[in-house]
Amino acid sequence: MSEQKTIEVSAPDIESAVAKGIEELGVARDQVMIEVLEEPSRRLLGLGTRQARVRLTVIRAPSTPPPPPTAEAPSDEIIVLPSEKEGGAPKPEKAAPSERRERPERKERRPRPAKPAAATDDPEAEPAFEDEEESGTGAIPELSDDEFAVEAKAGADIVRDLLKFMGLNATVTLKKAVVEGKEPRHWILDVSGRDLGSLIGRKGETLAALQYLTRMLTSRKLGRRVYLVVDVEGYKTRREAMLRRLAQRMAEQAVQRGRTVAMEPMPPHERRIIHLTLRDHPEVTTESVGEGDKRKVTVIPRHPKP
Amino acid sequence: MDLKALVEYVAKTLVNNPDAVTVNEVQKRSLTILELHVAPEDMGRVIGKEGRVANALRVVLRSAVAESGKRISLDIV
Repeated sequence: MSEQKTIEVSAPDIESAVAKGIEELGVARDQVMIEVLEEPSRRLLGLGTRQARVRLTVIRAPSTPPPPPTAEAPSDEIIVLPSEKEGGAPKPEKAAPSERRERPERKERRPRPAKPAAATDDPEAEPAFEDEEESGTGAIPELSDDEFAVEAKAGADIVRDLLKFMGLNATVTLKKAVVEGKEPRHWILDVSGRDLGSLIGRKGETLAALQYLTRMLTSRKLGRRVYLVVDVEGYKTRREAMLRRLAQRMAEQAVQRGRTVAMEPMPPHERRIIHLTLRDHPEVTTESVGEGDKRKVTVIPRHPKP
Repeated sequence: MDLKALVEYVAKTLVNNPDAVTVNEVQKRSLTILELHVAPEDMGRVIGKEGRVANALRVVLRSAVAESGKRISLDIV
């Protein structure tokens, strides 16, 4: 995945940071995904101004060869629903036959290596779809094909409504997720369009909120618990892969040094990916420390060096 | 962009008494305050477990106004 291009740029405001980054990458604006890492602060008198920092990721060049088509996700299952008020929507590039949502945590459950007891109150330690249950609707039921199809339609309608109220022109593409293990089968509602960086938000915060609302509203509409994923141009898939590689590197470091290694602070859904990636690692354990925005994962070697 | 309508839409979908849902918009310079009223029995539905629905709404609202440099707050009253 070394050809996945990501750079971070700082400038006095977001617009010029993006322009600078695009020039540096030598690509068109619609070929990058923009994440605002830091908003510029606008203070009077120019005191203590903070620069805007953005992360740009080239999205048009696929960084991995497309996975082989699987029976679960034939390409004719992909439905493109342009939003109503949009003229000439940018066609999403040929959708990969399977947006592979790898969830190593859902493989057959090996007995967990001893985990720090403190981790039990970590929301990120729980599988995402158990961690967002709303009262009264119970567990994810087995779905008939019809019920499953209804989820796609209802979910996409709601995402499109929300985006419209937010003033965003975007297209929602429905993909069947490739599921592993006990994960319920579900749809990925992939949003594409212009200027969607703000929809991802800092470390995916906005996207997580949008997904949560979409699940809540869809569940309420259908009167049963609905599990679905909202993504923006495959951002989550790529981010997850990046975090998994990062987790492995941190584990190597911890083992090499024989000392606990602390990672950068991350939001819960990202810490969860780290915990799950290293859950069955023979040489390290993980634990989150710190509060709120500062909460971060530490990677602890099982055999510390003196 | 119509964030008042966004809040109304989310609230009306979640509550048992959609007719009791109202949203007032108050403008204070660059700050927009959205006041959401729902029937007392529906408060929990729009706030959510540990405030998760309300907070998710706030995140989405903030992202929608971020580019304009304005601020927005959501009060559930």
